[in-house]
Amino acid sequence: MIRVAAVGDVHLGEDMRGHLRPALEKVGEHADILLLAGDLTRHGTVEEAAVVADEFADLPVPVVAVLGNHDHHDDKPLEVAKTLEDKGINVLEGTTFTHRANGCSIGIAGVKGFGGGFAGKCGSAFGEREMKAFIQHTCDIAETLKGALSELDTDIKVALTHYAPVPDTLRGEPPEIYPFLGSYLLGEAIDATGTHLAVHGHAHFGTEQGMTPGGVRVRNVAQPIIRSAYAVYVLEGTSS
Amino acid sequence: MESEQYLAANLRRAVAEDPRTAELGVRITVRGGHVMLSGDVACEERRALVEEVLHEAAPELKILNDVRVTPAGEPHGEEDLR
Repeated sequence: MIRVAAVGDVHLGEDMRGHLRPALEKVGEHADILLLAGDLTRHGTVEEAAVVADEFADLPVPVVAVLGNHDHHDDKPLEVAKTLEDKGINVLEGTTFTHRANGCSIGIAGVKGFGGGFAGKCGSAFGEREMKAFIQHTCDIAETLKGALSELDTDIKVALTHYAPVPDTLRGEPPEIYPFLGSYLLGEAIDATGTHLAVHGHAHFGTEQGMTPGGVRVRNVAQPIIRSAYAVYVLEGTSS
Repeated sequence: MESEQYLAANLRRAVAEDPRTAELGVRITVRGGHVMLSGDVACEERRALVEEVLHEAAPELKILNDVRVTPAGEPHGEEDLR
């Protein structure tokens, strides 16, 4: 049994320093690992990343993060990631993190993800250069996610993204903007790899619970949805 | 006179693109001389900034600020997915 805490879209800046800290210092009482589903900053500056790094530093459980679109806004995602990693936060982009607790192993594969839309209502890599680049970015990320999830050989496998892999957890958002909120290609990667749980953020007006077409549980942990410093999910691996 | 639809769209962009706010999670509804704001922001100061940016962009509108501040406490319970 492993308890997974997760939150996304905390949008920290200097004005928020220490805001989450009281709840974070008790995260070890609630969970064995903490996942951050992107949009950790507002403008993606290194200064804001330093606030995030301090906020999530020295916690009693490992912290694993992906970046979101806000964390890219200042065009310095590598510097933002480095600032977090310097304080011990594991930032994933096509990479994995594994951990063991209570005799059970858990593996996290993380990517930012991107938009494109959902099956039957999505964009194609066709036409203008800009449109092809938009969809190709999602295709590349989904392929990377699939590869990272496939590499994991743990009792529990979790996919961590910022963008949504299914439309279920977007319910509450205007359907017209779904193509900017996620892509079915992420869901397809999750379904192809024996994954147990998919965690994402990004959709502040969405809903917490959903499921992939292949029956994998999906949770939208955007902070305005979960309305706490983090949500906690209890998982059991197949061999534990 | 600018139609309500264009006005609402321009106000949404203002709140998203102004560096003081950078908020994509605030809903803006224009009806007559009123603009209603809803959704969540991370702290009280940002709630006030959304109102400030909107007021500068459309000083003629009366603002109904229903934006909430997201709670950041410990969770109540856990979800068992076993």
